[in-house]
Amino acid sequence: MQNKRSKLTFIFLIFLLIVMLLVSIMSGSVRIGAWEVIHMISGKKDDLMNYNIIYNIRLPRTIAAFFLGGALALSGYLLQTFFNNPIAGPFVLGISSGAKLTVALTMIFLLERGKTINSAGMILSAFAGAMAAMGFVLIVSFYVRNMSILIVCGIMTGYICSAVTDLVVTFADDSNIINLHNWSLGSFSGIDIKDVKEIVIITVIGLIMVLMLVKPIGAYRLGETYAKNMGVNIKLLRAALIVLSSILAATVTAYAGPISFVGIAVPHILKSMTGTSSPGVMIPGCFMTGALITLFCDCIARTVFAPTEVSISSVTAVLLVPVVISMLVKRHMAQS
Amino acid sequence: MNDSILKTENLIIGYDKDIVGNIDLTVTAGKILTLIGPNGSGKSTLLRTLAGLHKERNGIIYLNGKSIISLKAEEIAREISVVMTMTVKPELMSCREVIATGRYPYTGMFGRLRDEDNSIIDETISNMGMEDISENPFMSISDGQKQRVMLARAICQEPSVLILDEPTSYLDIKYKLDILTRLKELVREKNIAVILSIHELDIAMHISDHVIALGEGKILKEGTVREVFRESFIRSLYGIENSSLEFIGSVPWFTDENNTEDVNNIFKAFVSPKTDQPDKEEGKGSCPVLMIQGTMSNAGKSLIAAGLCRIFANDGYRVAPFKAQNMALNSYITKAGGEMGRAQAVQAECAKRTPDVSMNPILLKPNDDHTSQVIVNGKAIGNMTAAEYFGYRKQLIPVVREAFDRLAQSSDIIIVEGAGSPVELNLNKDDIVNMGLARLIDASVILVGDIDRGGIFAQLIGTLELLEEEDRRRVKGLIVNKFRGDLKLFDEGVQILEERSASKVLGVVPYLKLNIDDEDSLSEKICRKEEGEFNIAVIRLPHISNFTDFDVFAQLPEVTVRYVDSPSELCKPDMLIIPGSKNTISDLKWLKTSGLYDRIKSLSYEGTVIFGICGGYQMLGRRIEENADGEVNAEEGLLLLPVDTVIHKDKVTREYRGSIAGATGILSSIKGIEIKGYEIHMGQTDTYEPLTEFTSGKSGYCRENIYGTYIHGFFDSKEVLIRIVRLLAEAAGKKVNTDTVRDRAVYKEDQYSILEEALRNSLDMELIYKIAGLSKP
Repeated sequence: MQNKRSKLTFIFLIFLLIVMLLVSIMSGSVRIGAWEVIHMISGKKDDLMNYNIIYNIRLPRTIAAFFLGGALALSGYLLQTFFNNPIAGPFVLGISSGAKLTVALTMIFLLERGKTINSAGMILSAFAGAMAAMGFVLIVSFYVRNMSILIVCGIMTGYICSAVTDLVVTFADDSNIINLHNWSLGSFSGIDIKDVKEIVIITVIGLIMVLMLVKPIGAYRLGETYAKNMGVNIKLLRAALIVLSSILAATVTAYAGPISFVGIAVPHILKSMTGTSSPGVMIPGCFMTGALITLFCDCIARTVFAPTEVSISSVTAVLLVPVVISMLVKRHMAQS
Repeated sequence: MNDSILKTENLIIGYDKDIVGNIDLTVTAGKILTLIGPNGSGKSTLLRTLAGLHKERNGIIYLNGKSIISLKAEEIAREISVVMTMTVKPELMSCREVIATGRYPYTGMFGRLRDEDNSIIDETISNMGMEDISENPFMSISDGQKQRVMLARAICQEPSVLILDEPTSYLDIKYKLDILTRLKELVREKNIAVILSIHELDIAMHISDHVIALGEGKILKEGTVREVFRESFIRSLYGIENSSLEFIGSVPWFTDENNTEDVNNIFKAFVSPKTDQPDKEEGKGSCPVLMIQGTMSNAGKSLIAAGLCRIFANDGYRVAPFKAQNMALNSYITKAGGEMGRAQAVQAECAKRTPDVSMNPILLKPNDDHTSQVIVNGKAIGNMTAAEYFGYRKQLIPVVREAFDRLAQSSDIIIVEGAGSPVELNLNKDDIVNMGLARLIDASVILVGDIDRGGIFAQLIGTLELLEEEDRRRVKGLIVNKFRGDLKLFDEGVQILEERSASKVLGVVPYLKLNIDDEDSLSEKICRKEEGEFNIAVIRLPHISNFTDFDVFAQLPEVTVRYVDSPSELCKPDMLIIPGSKNTISDLKWLKTSGLYDRIKSLSYEGTVIFGICGGYQMLGRRIEENADGEVNAEEGLLLLPVDTVIHKDKVTREYRGSIAGATGILSSIKGIEIKGYEIHMGQTDTYEPLTEFTSGKSGYCRENIYGTYIHGFFDSKEVLIRIVRLLAEAAGKKVNTDTVRDRAVYKEDQYSILEEALRNSLDMELIYKIAGLSKP
């Protein structure tokens, strides 16, 4: 905790998170009061229907949104650190779309053979896709140092992957296609308690590993040369950044499909709240802010046009794109 | 301390292909190593490779004796820190946070700063005077400030090697100075080794201990500043052989001359402060120091110091005079060939000691109103403007200290002379002559005022009032000097002085009419003076020998002997002497490159009397030829006398008794005078045209006002000296009193005795002994 402002921000975030968790469980087609929610979570089974709604639908969804949102923001933060650039994120660089494509291909391939995919397979195939897209971006970045070109390449990759995904989805002939379609747009619906366990394990491990990088990331802020001079193992750090951000982004994509802009926007929101770029603040802060924003967006996605559910990416785009744009404009003004 | 920290063996550096190969270099603690060379010559790559930031293509880098590949990144980081050229743009980091990253190699797993780290960071910030900006965002400060922050960061890393890539580029003069001063301090105080690359050659010349020039894929030259910064080399290094230099002002190099080896040693001694000073406490304790300071120039410090030297010497003490820095044209050459101020040489005689450059380690010889030649430990190190010298002065403190310590080892007491007034408040920073020196060597001070010029109370009490409290406590007594008339009349004055100043008046010294070389810079304006003193210029050859030939002139108070080594100093002397040389051909070449050759020739056309003694005589001729191991080495001389010289191995050493066989020009009437002297030379000089024999036995010839002879001690005989000086003075319309010429030693001793007597009578010697901490015998 670097300064007073960071501390206040954290207190504020924790408070909002508690409120948001409650709201997330309360809201939906059946309204459940706050007291009842607190009552239920503490283990009382007064109303069996509401109990089932909370434990089988809303609680898993809320927890998933919490952890996956955090993972997504963290992935964005790592990528921004890696590229030393503020507009990097798993979605703009095409990593989420790459993961989406491989998951879709795997699913359809298996479904046609009458098999269903388990979550480990989902994550593995998502990770493979994420790494493939990342590899492409890295190759481009090796030749082109210009970040704008890199982002354009990432977005193009994303489009190609989405196009291919749409194509295979269109020509797939299975009843699960609807699910697949929903998933490919990004949604937290249909996540069950078993998924939640896996999500929590993976993201918590990921978070801990990222926290281990606090020191080298702090030094890396002065650029590669100085970091190296301070004794940072640059190759190891860069590899860790890539692998961890890909795992986190792939996990999110595997369970909830591609979710846009959380990865880019959250680090900026946090920086402007805390006024520091210290990784000791940024890493836990990004996780919490990402969780908060994702929860909030998920609530909107499923309540605004209820009973129809909007894809979460639509909500995140509407809410976060202005943040990203205003950040870009501000930086440009500050530079010139 | 001569331990090498970083060392390379056959190092080859580069990216995709080799850029520089065969790099064998050694980086030593407490030294600044500078890389120069054109853009793209591989300076940055070398720095990055040495810092372990970039992999070498071949060869080995040793850090403290271990191959750098075998070391962990953090181990290297604790030894080497860098300040590179790339701009860092850390978002939302305060300057303090940036500086704190220097502690990275020392902190634990999560990089949490310990109290220890914080105190190092705070200390660095306050040392660099950055408290006011430390909490500002790094991105909001100026480029100069950023560079300072990056330097502070590197210092926080507590390295033993600091590597900087063009640390002063793009900075304004203020930050340049700041960074360079800081580096010098680091080297001195923390004994850090510094490696830097730089494009500003003038800065490189001033800051470097060792220079490496990169070009054409290799180390083109390596050595001291003097060795590397030669005009022809630097021009070829940067490919500007034929470029015009009109836009860069003074050139950042030395002219191509031969006298490098001795100067190099000086430069080394000059810039490398020895940190391991041998038992200076002991030296200090065992040797009391009395320092004579004056209220103004010409208050009579030198004479009082000389008199005290004589008194202590006659009382059986080993006494030595000392003055840290002298500004004078009238210099003295010691037996070892070093140059020093004449005042200290005289004081040394009073002290019955052989003059030694340690007694006056720094001598400034003004060239004109703007620059002076700086002579350190008897050797010239170059010309500097006053501003340059003031900036430089601080680095001379170790030189002064070492010279003083050398004297202290062989003395019971040292009489130190100050310079000018100790309260020139605008010039007192880094003072090394007055109170700054007194503090350095823990001296007791006696303040001398000049009553002859009036205002004695204001002089003495005013000076005391202006001194810092600490310095004022050093002043143990006052002397009123140059009093004319009845001493009793001033008794009341003494009382008032003692009451108002709370210091003891040690005595009132009468105005003494003495003929002692007590003044330092009587001839500062010699160049512009049409009339005035009779002045003799002696060419200060790099390998000058037998300079005592010219000591005799010191008997004549109106005669100034100047040692000259550049055309601008030469001006218009009444007599020019080219002295003997230990290496005639090389010195003749030096005459040509220094521009003196042409000036001497033009003086000869104007009819100036030119004497050549021994090697100087050989130079006056048409040609000097040397046969060394079958190789013929020949050089054209000044063509002023029609003689040729062949140098061979047989050395002629003999006493000479003869006479002046003939004379021409102004001196034609000295014919027939008997002379005694000696010859030491290795050449044979013969005429190729009919010529007037000057000194008999074919030992010298003359034509018009050009006189050449092999005889050393030519001027020693009284008659020759008086006749020559009179004739020349008459011709120049100047008045020279030659009555004082007697047996020189006897005469001087007389004068010294008069001085001693006068001081013993007027000063409270018992009290002075008490101040000095010695017992009066």
